Amino acid sequence: MSSTRIEITKDLTIPKLFVRQCKKFGKNKVAMREKEFGIWRPYTWQDYYDNVKYLSLGMVSLGLKRGDKVAMIGDNRPEGLWAEMAALCAGGIGVWLFQDCMMDEVKYIIDHSDTKIFVGETQEEVDKALAIKDQCPKLEWVLWDDPKGMRNYDQDFLLSLKEVQARGRELDAKEPGLFEKMVEEGDGEDICLLFYTSGTTALPKGALLTHYNMLTMGRNLLDVDPCYETDDFVSYLPFAWIGEQMMSISCGLQVGYTLNFPEEPDTAQENIREIGPHVMFAPPRLYEGMTRSVQVKYIDSTWTKRRVYEFATKIGYKVANLKFEKQPVPWYLKILHWLAYITMQKKLKDHLGMSRLRQCYTGGAAMGPDHFRFFHALGVNLKQIYGQTEIAGISIVHRSGDVKFDTVGTPIPQTEVKITEEGEIISRSPSVFKGYYKNDEATRKTLVDGWLYSGDRGFIDEDGHLVVFDRSKDVMTLSDGRPFSPQYLETRLKFSPFIQEAWVIGDKREYVTAVMCIDYAVVGKWADDKKLNYTSYPELSQKPEVYDLVQKQIEEANKDLPGPAKIRKFVNLYKVFDADDEELTRTSKLRRAFVEKRYKEIVDGLYGDTDVVHMDTTITYEDGREQRIKTDLRIQEIKV
Amino acid sequence: MSSVWMPCGDYHQSYAEDHGWWQTRFIKFKMLLLLAVIFVIIPQFLSGYVMSVASMVGYTAMGALGVQLLIGYTGLVTLGHAAFIAVGAYTSTLLVLQFPWPQWIMDAGLAYPISVLVAGVFGGIWSVLFGLPSAKVKGFYLILTTMAAQFITVDFILTQYVSRIGGRGQAFSLPPGTIKVGPWVIDSEREVYYLMAVILTLMVIVLANLLRSRVGRAWVAIRDNDIAAETLGINIVWYKLLAFFVAGFFAGVAGGFWVSNTAALSPEHFPWFWSLWLVGVILIGGVGSIHGAIFGSFFMVVIMELLQVGVIPLADYFPKLLMSFASLKEMAFGLAICAFLIYEPNGLAYRWWQAKNYFNLWPFSY
Repeated sequence: MSSTRIEITKDLTIPKLFVRQCKKFGKNKVAMREKEFGIWRPYTWQDYYDNVKYLSLGMVSLGLKRGDKVAMIGDNRPEGLWAEMAALCAGGIGVWLFQDCMMDEVKYIIDHSDTKIFVGETQEEVDKALAIKDQCPKLEWVLWDDPKGMRNYDQDFLLSLKEVQARGRELDAKEPGLFEKMVEEGDGEDICLLFYTSGTTALPKGALLTHYNMLTMGRNLLDVDPCYETDDFVSYLPFAWIGEQMMSISCGLQVGYTLNFPEEPDTAQENIREIGPHVMFAPPRLYEGMTRSVQVKYIDSTWTKRRVYEFATKIGYKVANLKFEKQPVPWYLKILHWLAYITMQKKLKDHLGMSRLRQCYTGGAAMGPDHFRFFHALGVNLKQIYGQTEIAGISIVHRSGDVKFDTVGTPIPQTEVKITEEGEIISRSPSVFKGYYKNDEATRKTLVDGWLYSGDRGFIDEDGHLVVFDRSKDVMTLSDGRPFSPQYLETRLKFSPFIQEAWVIGDKREYVTAVMCIDYAVVGKWADDKKLNYTSYPELSQKPEVYDLVQKQIEEANKDLPGPAKIRKFVNLYKVFDADDEELTRTSKLRRAFVEKRYKEIVDGLYGDTDVVHMDTTITYEDGREQRIKTDLRIQEIKV
Repeated sequence: MSSVWMPCGDYHQSYAEDHGWWQTRFIKFKMLLLLAVIFVIIPQFLSGYVMSVASMVGYTAMGALGVQLLIGYTGLVTLGHAAFIAVGAYTSTLLVLQFPWPQWIMDAGLAYPISVLVAGVFGGIWSVLFGLPSAKVKGFYLILTTMAAQFITVDFILTQYVSRIGGRGQAFSLPPGTIKVGPWVIDSEREVYYLMAVILTLMVIVLANLLRSRVGRAWVAIRDNDIAAETLGINIVWYKLLAFFVAGFFAGVAGGFWVSNTAALSPEHFPWFWSLWLVGVILIGGVGSIHGAIFGSFFMVVIMELLQVGVIPLADYFPKLLMSFASLKEMAFGLAICAFLIYEPNGLAYRWWQAKNYFNLWPFSY
């Protein structure tokens, strides 16, 4: 294992670093792998270089100039990363879209960003581009890489990546050395990525990030947690999420570790297990998903296995708690811990794909302390990360051995974090972005004297750890005037495997209530075992037995809460919150203002005398179809 | 996808790796341990009796591997496998006894090894001959042609003609010292055991290698659906006959080995019941698995030995028991088959797979 620290200078760009790393590793090292037809096909750094070079020249031959935008959409795959790197090498600016974006979001971003070239993956993305082409006059070319279903498309502006690369080869023959010249022309202060933040409240804003921003952020994170070129990383979260850019580009390129792309998004969990990454970064919902699957499998396990599991988790929690309190672990506990490790934890980590994990991060949203403790009890070095797109990813992270599950850690090098008088978290570092694209007003509000205003409330505790309370506008005031974070309560509720989503209400109200979304698979299995009949999610969610089940979960979460914060009433929603209905952001954060408006009847019902709410709404399916739903929801009260 | 349980962090970058032997460190360790048990621990530390039982297991497994290939992998049900073993045994014996070997081959001790190889080839050719109808017929009709192989070969040709060669009457016997491999004379239980272990190991390697190649995939395709296999471009007659040849070759070698064990030979060693027995072995062991053939052989031989051990003390009270032990054996065989078909139709190999899964999935059940 070796880690060569790369100095980030003002004129270093991502393409320059890319070319340097390709020269260094060449044919001898695998840059990325993609699982295809059952095996992990390797691409060496030389393959990576060739693909990017000709793609980049091809884009230039299509008329890409410095500063032009190239939008990309699709699953994580080598071609996506090549397209991004090719655009950067030609001096272009990359714009990533979430794979499951609805048509109007795609249109808004393509149009607002003045995208010239659109790179899609399959027919699906090409269709999206074709549908909006007329409304986005600046869009000139649409590229694709998967020929499936593309036979009958004959528009002039449609090209496959292979064809673009062929054009690139022609251009290279005509003007040898052009690619190297283009790369040399870049400067660290040039914009490299235009990142649309999902925004819990308003239309997406495009954050402008420079090469220098991205590289310094990666450097500073690596200074905290070094990675090695022999490491493996699995890239499966959308590239449109800053966290994935930070791991795949900012850190990945500097270290030169191998990126692995799963076969399909659905197989990601299985593929992670095969690779066994050394480092991982995922939003809390993925860890929540893992915990849930473990809890469910535990329930379905045999007697012996359950006893072993219980023993090992008990020991694991004990040891983890001692470590959290920074107390020494007594010798007898060490022996028991070793026993727990060989009988259960080792195997469970293997199932979760965490066998080789040195550290893993969670960020992007709040993670419940129960989930956090769960992973530490398993011996997984899970750390919280805090940051924004506007600071190129992260500014704060836990240090190994100094993890507190209610904080997000301490600033990374070259980063200052302060709390304003109003309690807002502000930060300053070389990675702070240049501003929002075509939105000076928002830039002025967010960037003041080089300080980035986050819009989050928080404080710094006695150990210098930052505690993030919640988004300023989301902080609740309880009946006794105390401030309270609904997110905290929701994450606690979500520790139950039966609960998929929760929405806690209670700002300036007499008591706290909750709208719950059950997990269809888990509750469905539970109902099957109980021989309860149901045909659909809405029906299952309204069963009295399911209400009692959910009530039990809430009572569990209520236990260690102060009186006014305890949940008094709840209702089971007839559907799960979804980003397509705009109830969640694309990174799965609840859009409170929106749901409050949308489910006004429910909120009124929860704070009224009635115990049944009549609902009449429409839901949107992923393909854009809509369905009207008429249903009655029961409100259940909890005695506290 | 690799067929073995891969621990986290082990992955394949090419199909060669994906089909490799001993893919994980644990498997490597396990297999080396197994080889150590077979080649060192059993012959060095256990008694001659155990070794002779083990040789019997090996001999049964050699036959069962061929049957497994035909029934379990290619879907060609055969009930005449003993005939091909008999062909091998007679070929080998006659070559050793009657063939005018040049003196230097005799001196070098190569007569027996060569005769075993030739026995394999003869067994294979004989098997292909009776496999020819498989080009046209399937199922019950094919079973009948293989049964024909049994009766034509053993009851007619061998009994009536071949066993009279040399004017020795019904049985051949091989004088001591004629069975040797190079300077190594095979004259005790330990030597026979070693010979068995080497041959069986080689057979398993050959069969396992065939099964993970194009040939093996073609066989399995024919088993699963011969018409679909043909549309995929597989020459099914050719591959069926190849399966018959390989199974016959294994049978011939097994026959050649059998001679070393008994030093005597008679057509009674290869009754039709033995063909049936081998099918029973793979039913109990598990159809469509190399493990199955070996587990089944182990189970059947050991059960029969235990039966014998159990019957001997009872013989004082029921003297007839010993006399009718053969029928007792048949009863036990029938009972075992019935019990397996009812309670574990997938055989012992499936149980083995379940046992491995129990630990692979630890601490969960799926």
